[in-house]
Amino acid sequence: MDNQNNRLLYTEKLTRDFGKLRAVDRLSFSLEPGEIRGLIGPNGSGKTTFINLLTGIYKPTSGEVYFHGKRIDRLSPEEITHQGIMRTFQIARVFGDMTVLENMLIPAFTQGTSKREAVRRAKELLDFSLLGRLSSEPARNLSGGQGMLLQIVRGFMRQPLGLYLLDEPFAGVHPAIKDVMIETIQKMNREEGVTFLIVSHELTIVRRLCSRISVLHGGRLISEGTMKEVANDPQVIDSYLGG
Amino acid sequence: MKNISDSRLSGLSRYGLLLALLLVVCLLPFWTGQYYLQVFTIAFYYVVLASSWNLIAGYTGQFSLAHHAFAAIGGYASALLVTRSGFPISVGILASLISSTLMGLILGVLCLRMRAIYLAIATWAFAESVRITLSMTYQITRGDLGLAVPKLFLGAGRALACYYLFLGLAVLTVLTIILINHSKMGYYLRAIRDDEIVARVMGINTTRWKIFSFIISSGIAGIAGAFYGHYNGLLTPVMVDFNEMAFIVIMVVIGGIRTIPGPVIGAILIEVLTETFREFGEIRMVVFALAVIAIARLYNEGAMGVVRQLAQRISIKGRHGKV
Repeated sequence: MDNQNNRLLYTEKLTRDFGKLRAVDRLSFSLEPGEIRGLIGPNGSGKTTFINLLTGIYKPTSGEVYFHGKRIDRLSPEEITHQGIMRTFQIARVFGDMTVLENMLIPAFTQGTSKREAVRRAKELLDFSLLGRLSSEPARNLSGGQGMLLQIVRGFMRQPLGLYLLDEPFAGVHPAIKDVMIETIQKMNREEGVTFLIVSHELTIVRRLCSRISVLHGGRLISEGTMKEVANDPQVIDSYLGG
Repeated sequence: MKNISDSRLSGLSRYGLLLALLLVVCLLPFWTGQYYLQVFTIAFYYVVLASSWNLIAGYTGQFSLAHHAFAAIGGYASALLVTRSGFPISVGILASLISSTLMGLILGVLCLRMRAIYLAIATWAFAESVRITLSMTYQITRGDLGLAVPKLFLGAGRALACYYLFLGLAVLTVLTIILINHSKMGYYLRAIRDDEIVARVMGINTTRWKIFSFIISSGIAGIAGAFYGHYNGLLTPVMVDFNEMAFIVIMVVIGGIRTIPGPVIGAILIEVLTETFREFGEIRMVVFALAVIAIARLYNEGAMGVVRQLAQRISIKGRHGKV
């Protein structure tokens, strides 16, 4: 069992019901600082609901969420962000009427960063992620993949960023942009110590990026370990093949 | 895709257009007669209302239908304080600011968590309540007979003084909106309008900023209402008729919602057209309403969209000419 002090984030019997449907079922889960964790599971297994519970979009029916030892499940989404947790959405949700650069400035502004400093970091991140030449474009003009990439790099504007939750970041994205995303995630993990929880169906990328994988099925955590370990777990095989 | 030079041109043309317009209206009293001097004075009053409504509806996405009610609250607050208690008009104007921002705060706290249609209905109900209250409290407001209000500036130069006063108010309002738009608050408001959930995830306290913009907007409307009362010399509950709100919406939509010059152009255009075609009566409202439907359906950028496209075409032609 993990030492409580070593855990960046943990949940205790986290549950969320939608009417008679139990989307997340007494889920106890934990993340250690600095890791890149993959979260996989069949469709409808509760992955996105879990992310929504961690970020305050949904309130749990029961159970608790702790970040840096502080209970956060009663906080609003913006209060959770101010604790150092950011997230992305399954579809690229950028501020379409604002330029790429303006999109980047918002998370920095909300934590009181000066415009000068925010613009400097935004340009650095945009250049690294090859979005620099598009910084004056309205974000609605970006392709789906570029929008997803902007969504990811926008989150890095928050400093320090303790935990980044990426919900299906690679779905439908051009391979070249996927490579940029992977590089960016690895760089931020290595250089700034950002912890990631990545929900993805792209097992090849999950294998490449994540040291440990957690598997959800029916709102429950059914397996955890390296990719090799979970791939050989009969419960996991059964959940993917047997439903 | 729009390139950077086009964006810059669009920005320059926007503010260039406003400066050109300002120059024209500053010199207008030297060309025009008394009648149109008064028409433009009222047009500037609507510039204040339309621009401040654009802040909440256009930039923040909160479709309030109570903006005219805040003008009335400010107008009556100042008028009653000056007529009943003998305070100077300047104190009345201050009271109009306090009363309208306070009511804005209360309505904001109650309604701004509501979404779209519910917010529109709730704010419309509030405005109707204000109108009925003003009509019913005859002993205080003189109801539909109207409340006589001490006038600003007396004497021969009154019309000209009022013209420049309302022009100054309009310029101040537009400058305030420009400042807000370029501040962090402006970024937050635009983010809230685009996607409120994502705005919250980015760390924006959306309720706080929505209420704050609502208060600013209500305060501006309240001050405008107070000056209007002291200009007109008479206040009636007609000020809170739904037609007044419809006028503000028409001005913003026709001029160009979510743009700085749009409400300015829309307010001046509609007010001048309304007065010019006064003999056609209420049919004018039907024509304006049809224009709004057409713009909303076919060309939602309004008059400012036309200006922007023209500026881009001129720029493209200019570049081709150089080559």
